[in-house]
Amino acid sequence: MKKIILSSLLIFATSISVYAQQITGSVSDDNGLPLPGASIVIQGTSDGTTTDFDGNFSIESSQGSSLVISYVGYESQIIVVGSSQINVQLVSDNALDEVVVTALGISREKKSLGYSVTEVSGDDINTIKDNNIASSLIGKVAGLNITNSGTIGSGSRITLRGNNSVNGMNQALIVVDGVPINADGIESNNNADYSSYVTGGGITDVNSNDIESISVLKGPNASALYGSRAGNGVILITTKTGSKAEGLGISINTNLTMDNPMYLPEFQNEYAQGTLGGAYTDISTDFGSSSWGPKMGAEQMYFDGMPRRTQAYPDNVKDFFDTGIKASTSLSIQDASEKGSVRFSYTNNDHKGIIPSSTLASHNFNLRGVMNLSDKLTVDAKATYFTQEVNNRQFLGGEGIMGPLYQMPRSVDIKDLEQYQVDNPGTAEEYVVRNYAGPNSQTANPYWMANHDTQKERRNRFFGFAKVNYEFTDWLSAFVRVGADITEMKNKTVTKPGHHFYRGGRMDVATNSYGELNTDVLVTAKKDLTSDLNLVLNVGGSLSKRTAEGFYQFGENFKIPTKFFLNNAANLLAPRETPQATKKVNSAYASASFAYQDFLYVDLTSRNDWSSTLGEENRSYMYNSASVSAIVNSFIDPEQTLFNLLKIRAGYAQVGNDTDPYQLSQTFDVPGQGYFGLTTLSAPSIKLNPDLKPEQVTSVEFGIEGSMLGNRLNFDISVYDKETTDMIFNVPVAAATGYQFFKENVGKVSNKGVEITIGGRLIQNSKMVWDTSLNYAKNENELLSLIDDLETFTYMTTNSGNLSLRAQVGGTIGDIYGTTWETNDAGQKLIREDGRPSPSGPDQYLGTAQPDFLAGWNNTIRYGNYTLGFQIDGRFGGQFYSNTSANLDGVGVGARTLQYRESGVTLDGFNTATNTDNTASITGQEYWGSTSSIAENYIYDQDNIRLRELSIGYQIPNTVDYGIQSASIQLIGRNLFFFSKEAPDVDPENMLGTAIGAQGFNSNNLPSLRSLGLNLTLNF
Amino acid sequence: MKTMKNNYFLTTIALMALMISCTDDFNEINEKPDALAASDVSAKFFVTNAQTGLFAPNRYPYWRGPIIHADRYAGHTAFGYKSNWWDDGLGYNYSAGYTSAVHDAWFASYNSTLSAFTNFVKEGGTLENDKYYAIALIMKGLYYQYYTDAFGMVPMTEASNPDIVTPKYDTQLEIYSTLVSDLDQAISLIGNDATTGSGVDQLAENDLFFNGDLQAWKQLANSLKLRLGLRALGAPGESFSSSAVSSAVSGGVLADRDALLPRDLEISTWVSAVYGDVWGPFYGGGNWHLAKTLVDALRDNNDPRLSKYAKPSKGGTIEWAKPTEGERVALFDKHVAYMTDILDSAGATYTKTSDGAGGYTITMPENTNYIGQPTRLNGKIKPLLDRKLWSEPSEIVVNQHNSGKPIFPFVVFTAAESHFMIAEAITKGLASGNAQSHYQTGIRHAMSLWDVSSADAENYIATESMALLNGSTDQNLEKIATQRWIALFTNGYEAWSVVRDTGYPTELSAGVTDSDIFVLGDTNGVYPQRHRYGSGPYNTNGAQVEQANSVQGPDKQATKLWWAK
Repeated sequence: MKKIILSSLLIFATSISVYAQQITGSVSDDNGLPLPGASIVIQGTSDGTTTDFDGNFSIESSQGSSLVISYVGYESQIIVVGSSQINVQLVSDNALDEVVVTALGISREKKSLGYSVTEVSGDDINTIKDNNIASSLIGKVAGLNITNSGTIGSGSRITLRGNNSVNGMNQALIVVDGVPINADGIESNNNADYSSYVTGGGITDVNSNDIESISVLKGPNASALYGSRAGNGVILITTKTGSKAEGLGISINTNLTMDNPMYLPEFQNEYAQGTLGGAYTDISTDFGSSSWGPKMGAEQMYFDGMPRRTQAYPDNVKDFFDTGIKASTSLSIQDASEKGSVRFSYTNNDHKGIIPSSTLASHNFNLRGVMNLSDKLTVDAKATYFTQEVNNRQFLGGEGIMGPLYQMPRSVDIKDLEQYQVDNPGTAEEYVVRNYAGPNSQTANPYWMANHDTQKERRNRFFGFAKVNYEFTDWLSAFVRVGADITEMKNKTVTKPGHHFYRGGRMDVATNSYGELNTDVLVTAKKDLTSDLNLVLNVGGSLSKRTAEGFYQFGENFKIPTKFFLNNAANLLAPRETPQATKKVNSAYASASFAYQDFLYVDLTSRNDWSSTLGEENRSYMYNSASVSAIVNSFIDPEQTLFNLLKIRAGYAQVGNDTDPYQLSQTFDVPGQGYFGLTTLSAPSIKLNPDLKPEQVTSVEFGIEGSMLGNRLNFDISVYDKETTDMIFNVPVAAATGYQFFKENVGKVSNKGVEITIGGRLIQNSKMVWDTSLNYAKNENELLSLIDDLETFTYMTTNSGNLSLRAQVGGTIGDIYGTTWETNDAGQKLIREDGRPSPSGPDQYLGTAQPDFLAGWNNTIRYGNYTLGFQIDGRFGGQFYSNTSANLDGVGVGARTLQYRESGVTLDGFNTATNTDNTASITGQEYWGSTSSIAENYIYDQDNIRLRELSIGYQIPNTVDYGIQSASIQLIGRNLFFFSKEAPDVDPENMLGTAIGAQGFNSNNLPSLRSLGLNLTLNF
Repeated sequence: MKTMKNNYFLTTIALMALMISCTDDFNEINEKPDALAASDVSAKFFVTNAQTGLFAPNRYPYWRGPIIHADRYAGHTAFGYKSNWWDDGLGYNYSAGYTSAVHDAWFASYNSTLSAFTNFVKEGGTLENDKYYAIALIMKGLYYQYYTDAFGMVPMTEASNPDIVTPKYDTQLEIYSTLVSDLDQAISLIGNDATTGSGVDQLAENDLFFNGDLQAWKQLANSLKLRLGLRALGAPGESFSSSAVSSAVSGGVLADRDALLPRDLEISTWVSAVYGDVWGPFYGGGNWHLAKTLVDALRDNNDPRLSKYAKPSKGGTIEWAKPTEGERVALFDKHVAYMTDILDSAGATYTKTSDGAGGYTITMPENTNYIGQPTRLNGKIKPLLDRKLWSEPSEIVVNQHNSGKPIFPFVVFTAAESHFMIAEAITKGLASGNAQSHYQTGIRHAMSLWDVSSADAENYIATESMALLNGSTDQNLEKIATQRWIALFTNGYEAWSVVRDTGYPTELSAGVTDSDIFVLGDTNGVYPQRHRYGSGPYNTNGAQVEQANSVQGPDKQATKLWWAK
């Protein structure tokens, strides 16, 4: 089938015939010096080339077509091909005329904006590709904070300028071609440290090959026109449209990388499986999983019950992982004419994870057409179908696969676990999985988990829009746009009989559908009010409808233990239908942009929303924004001796935010599974509130932008102060009230910060050009108040209670609290009678999950046909708890646990039983047993600096003879190494999930991947 | 053409403008389709969760409450063995995570289930019905007695009222006396009625205790009143006990039937758990044992319930290897002596031979001895705690959900306990009648509950001095308390209350002193007197908790409750 589609596309494409000729030429600067690396593109296409060391180029083009010749810092020129030799001299820019895409998809000159927008081009995320575009944005935009979890096809947590609301929904809105997309699934795992399954959703379903550019609208000013959903900022994705094809208009891109763990814990390799310094001796009752045994080298009982001489298997963890392979192939065909343009693309992703049997396969079909039906009427439409299957993504956390793998005794050969069950098991005993802690333990076998605890997630998604634009006159135009986003998800999790926990097997089946329909209308009027004053007026409205529904069922104990479908489960439990829930928001908005003499720009916006989730009294709410920007370089530096552009700006904005459906009036739920099948009713734990008001984000922002030294240096600095009030929040109350929570509008959160981007051309000579950009963002988050008498809200507490993630008044949304080693007033550490450290209560402040600042350094060095790109970025300040490390030490496999093994330790401190300095000694096992349970000992700074991306590219010359318009190849690498890192064992940016309650917490996450590979692009 | 397009376009825009202003369907779409309003429901649907939520909670609090704490405090079970990842110190050394789960996720949050039910059926409620209200009052009595006896002062008189966000903590005196008068009200509301009504109002299978039999509820109310009265008797400031006891006895207690909560064997453990769900399959932490105190009490009196409660020790070869270094070297002989004494006092058959390296090898016939594991053993002695030494609970106690095997019901209130309490009331002069006759009737009921044959029960009563109240008043009270405590097996919270209230069995209430062998824990060896409050009320009702602490004493496990001996 695939072949048929492909060949018919090829036939279609080749029917557009072209007669081309070879054009050669040179590009130089104002002083006549050659400009190497200047770009020459055939207008209306993406076909082009760049100049060599000497500023010379050669391109295949036809008579009459136009070449766009551009170079950063210089004004672009368009040359119509007349002769076969073209020599061009570029003049440097007067000012930055950069155009960026802003809210509602309106393109505007960046200098006219009174707020901060950062644009990232499609190329910047497409060379060193990641399945998840968010990963590619890390380190590229000041103010953008992204954390990952590491499993295949999983999403990221994306926040802009800090956490706004204590209710936990703080992630940026994703908008594609002006239409917000559904983001269900982006808040994975909020409250369980023992098990976390991190799904994709939102931005992970957008195909990077189709992206033209990404605008990051950081503050409420930039996003005010998106209304309720945009208080956390907007990631605005613009996809490609067709452009004039020179040649066949076919482009093929293949990206292939090999993935390996970037970082693994450091293990000890001296002591064998055992406890209390001795081996386990009784396979049936007292066998265990720890590595507190004797020194390796002696004979002792192995987990199969047979004696064996112990030896270390230093690579037993590493050997478990496969080499992951990410293959992404994309084909696009495009053409354009006066009548319009068309672009079709198909992308195939085929990934194999580092965990055996974990895979991802996706297909993305995208068709975009623009039709110019008349001078005035344009129709722009797009349809994207995306289908993806993820297998065995794996759970994280205490019960996830990394636990039994990392904690495997050092004297266990992982190969001995590969056969995890007897062949053809018959009895229940035979079904029991072999594991390294003996047949009667509930320890998991990692191979079993990889192959027999299967998860399958299928997503089918349709995005599309149709936009009709009509120009009434040269100053008045309007468009109507309807956008749809429909997602169907099917999840099936099977734990086969013999599973360490569900001995009879278990399966869970879930189906979820999400729909989003957005209809917009926008009328735009552009008028020169006087010769100096220009006005652009936008008036519009939108209807947004979002729906969600689902079905869930699980079953236990398979009747026939070799087949896994629901009918075969002996016990079908808890069917749960979630009927379709609908939320509607209607909006009307207007904006007015005044421009005075290309010097002073004033923007005013106003929006009114009506939300179905709020009561009649509070349903309608309005919010406004204002911003001003002034180009001042003509006053202070009219000759442009220093400044080519200097702009100052200021903005003020409000954004209102509503809530989810059904938050107003009290009802009862029928639990899916009544006791003995009886009809039972459960009482609501949240007291709902018919008087809920919208919550409000208010922001003030100032900035200064400039371009200096002949545009060789540019900078953009923003400071902002944002406050969220009237947060819609489930206030925890004393359970004695009859409820656990009251839903109220409460509290105040402040985010203040600064963002700095400095870029420029470090080197520009006849041989080499080096462009660089440095970004820095610092955000200070503070929870100013909740309600009287409530200082703390806990998002997540570990199963053992030793650590929690909280919002704390006076602290941040994301504070980490936990146990410490108790001390007395004299500062002495307290020791229990038996010589063990004494843990404090769990309410000691240990840190915050929010980093102090983030920084990124991006570089592109062009040298002839070679291009070197690299990105170094870092995260500074902010803490996290490594449950991974604590577990390693608790069972005696961490390298740290070599300490105190032989002679034990008498801890320095005050013994609370003897009331004197401690003299009681404890063994290493006891020391690490106690130490690993005290949270404080495993709190690390998130600080790290890494080589995130590296690419070495080569533009293959003279390919035209082979029918190829242009070809390039890049050697690419991602996550190559850390320059520095404070935390041991794990990647400090890997968090347990994408929800707020999983930040600042690493628990048996999959290791981050180091990817190395090739990217090949061929344009026909 | 041009005008037409213009018109189309303008019309579209005008339509949009109209639609934006239209919010007519907003109320409708914000009504949850799968939720029920008060008008859709019957009061009977609330009864089941009111019963299971209190006595058969989900796995999380069930494990952290009864299994980790109360059953062990009660001397019914013990845990910790060689390769087990926890030891007996757990529960004695305070753990916030474990205690908060008990308080916050179970006891405190149960209030919402009871409140919703009560508010519906009370006078003026949407489903007003005085018979259901009587049931709600009796459930309230069961709840607050269970709750306050575990924690002490709790909010009650200002609770269940959403207008009071920070309800005050009531003294146990206030709670007990209010509950007694609530029970009196329930008893009078029920009167002689047998059912709650007809049609949709008729309670039947939703009542897991009595299938809707109101007279049985009335008996339960009297039995509970008797329990409250006896427990409060002699506590500071109480003046209601003796009349509560005498009116309960004369009013008619649960004398020949039990209030039992049968276990749903198919429901998810995350909705309602049984012991077996965590007992065995628990990540290297399960598989605990019967406690020495309970096994001794049964075995030493030839009680036929021994084989119903317990399995004999697995037996086989057990190594007590002498350590070569560390603190345990010096303690080894003492530990061996202690363990040997445990085996000897259990009358166990075994041989102990030297292993030639300073240690010993114990050889024990398989499935022969009944030996209980002492409670509160510490980590130092753990290497000697081989699982094969100890009696495990019988299968009916620890069978898993969905195993196709029977599981013992939860013991809410038994006829046996009613008779034991009447015997106690008579012995204390609060009621008239034959104490020994009630005592023996109680034993018969308690044995029959565990499927002991009547022949075996009669043989026990005929031959064992434990079956006779033939001693001094104190000796008789000790026997009655001990029988109550034995009969409460699997209801650790109530059994723990009996120990704290009566001081029996003394082996438990005496606490421990030898830190070479036992966990002294945060109570410094004293018998645990209560749970600490969870972190929930400290976060949400802090001032009132502190006020309670200032009245009843510091929030520690050693702080004695109002009625404790």
